[in-house]
Amino acid sequence: MKRMALPAQRRHEALVGYLFIAPYLVLFVAFVLVPVVWGFFISLHNWHVLGEQKPFVGFANYRALLRDDLFGIALLNTGYFALLTVIPGNVVSLLLALGLNARIRGENVYKAIFYLPVVLSVAVVAIIWRWMYSTEFGLLNHYLKVLWQLLHLPGDFQPIPWLNSPQSAMPSLALMSIWWGAGGSMLIYLAGLRGIPEEYYEAARIDGASTWGRFRHITLPLLKPSLLFCLVMSLIGSSQVFGQSYILTGGGPHYSTLTVVLYMYQTGFSLYRMGYACAVAYVMFVIVLGFTLLQFRLLSARGEE
Amino acid sequence: MRFSFARLLLYLLMTITAVVFLMPVAWMLVMSILPEHEIFQPVPHWVPQEPTLQNFQELFKRAEEAPVMRWFWNSLFVAGTGTLAYLLLSSMAAYAFSRLEFPGRNVLFFLVLSTLIIPGQVTIIPVFLILQKLHWFNTYYALIVPGLAGAFGVFLLRQFFLTIPREMEEAALIDGCGRAGIYWRIILPLSKPALATLAIFSFLGGWNDFMLPLIATNEIEMRTLPVGLTIFLGRYSMQYGLVMATAVLATLPVLVMFLLFQRHIIRGVVLTGLKG
Repeated sequence: MKRMALPAQRRHEALVGYLFIAPYLVLFVAFVLVPVVWGFFISLHNWHVLGEQKPFVGFANYRALLRDDLFGIALLNTGYFALLTVIPGNVVSLLLALGLNARIRGENVYKAIFYLPVVLSVAVVAIIWRWMYSTEFGLLNHYLKVLWQLLHLPGDFQPIPWLNSPQSAMPSLALMSIWWGAGGSMLIYLAGLRGIPEEYYEAARIDGASTWGRFRHITLPLLKPSLLFCLVMSLIGSSQVFGQSYILTGGGPHYSTLTVVLYMYQTGFSLYRMGYACAVAYVMFVIVLGFTLLQFRLLSARGEE
Repeated sequence: MRFSFARLLLYLLMTITAVVFLMPVAWMLVMSILPEHEIFQPVPHWVPQEPTLQNFQELFKRAEEAPVMRWFWNSLFVAGTGTLAYLLLSSMAAYAFSRLEFPGRNVLFFLVLSTLIIPGQVTIIPVFLILQKLHWFNTYYALIVPGLAGAFGVFLLRQFFLTIPREMEEAALIDGCGRAGIYWRIILPLSKPALATLAIFSFLGGWNDFMLPLIATNEIEMRTLPVGLTIFLGRYSMQYGLVMATAVLATLPVLVMFLLFQRHIIRGVVLTGLKG
């Protein structure tokens, strides 16, 4: 029927098509396409919001970033956060999914409890955990102390200063973030596990494979697509970490939780240096893109061994 | 199911983990009904001796410096209208991309699709400058419209529309039904599951969004609840009962949605790969 359509009908269909995408396309151009291109353009300028002149400076902002100690710190901190959340977070998610996959009673209740934190706003999460992490009155230190006494560990329990010390602030944000996000990957892993045919395990059991052997040689390889997806997604997510440190620590103490996006926000919206902030954003973008491609390659190469 | 020591251990581990996972949220709920003197205690009062709604009542009295209820309505309005508009725009575009032939269709779709890999924060500064140029700063437009441009809805709905058999539309077309009629009377009603999933995630995303409302507004009256929460935290950092009551207010709508649409959400995560 389509092939037989007259030119006039085809023109009409095209017109209707354009009318249907027009409203979305206008917004897409205005708030996605233009910003992506314009953001790069801004990064090539000395673009102070209040400045009359916004002179073109070429790649000077990017060169300045190379010598910017704070940016270096922000990059390292963000990498540290990714290190503390991506692998440990996915291990937690996978363990939860394995537990749920063991055909337990009340599976849906457990599932709902583990997923619940995911639907909370970062602001709510931060407020709850600010209190959890309180050195004096926080639940964490309280129950650690109880545990300490129960196990008769030597000496007195020294309260952990969680968010208040440069050593523990970032790990604290990471722990909170794992709690916040573990449920999402858990669901994806669970769906992956459910997709593995039971016969594979039966056959392996007959061949005398151990639990670990079955996990290593059946579960893990067949879960590769889910693993790849979740690892890439959490890497991308963690490289954009912002709300946690913006709300809880403001990047401190001693810049220990200053992340790339927080640094971008501060240079852009506190110092009004939009050109420099855009340069930060673009460096982040390139790094995220690079990680994504690299990880795809790594995981597909390992699968071919 | 056979009983064994291993299974007992599994249940024990799962239950301990569930208690640990639930504890922060449960503690927020308990703290919001604790009177001041029960909050600062060396041993947490899980069962309040004198439960009170005083913290919630206090919230209304502070409307001058911290208009919590106004933030609540802002959030509800932004997430609600944003969701409706997003569903409409995305489904229209998805219909054109999946059913209508027009020059440049594939190029446009590829362009839209490829922006899915761009982190939203990369464009936040140009978006802010565009909002200023449009004189939208501190308006509901600034809080709603940029979110409508996301490519995910178009992508998800197009995939779904492609699974709907074409025969139904061709019959309707022969009966003299126009393209708009097909979209509205055939495609949309058949896509209820996909639209519902998208609506839930869009609402949750709009309600919880932090970065956009942070940069798109600075008047206290125009803040949404998550951003308002951080202002509140700055002002009343020592009155934690109050702070927790506000956090409960920010949690209740998503909690209700989660309990009502749990199955939908869980299936949606798996189908779409969205984590909520």
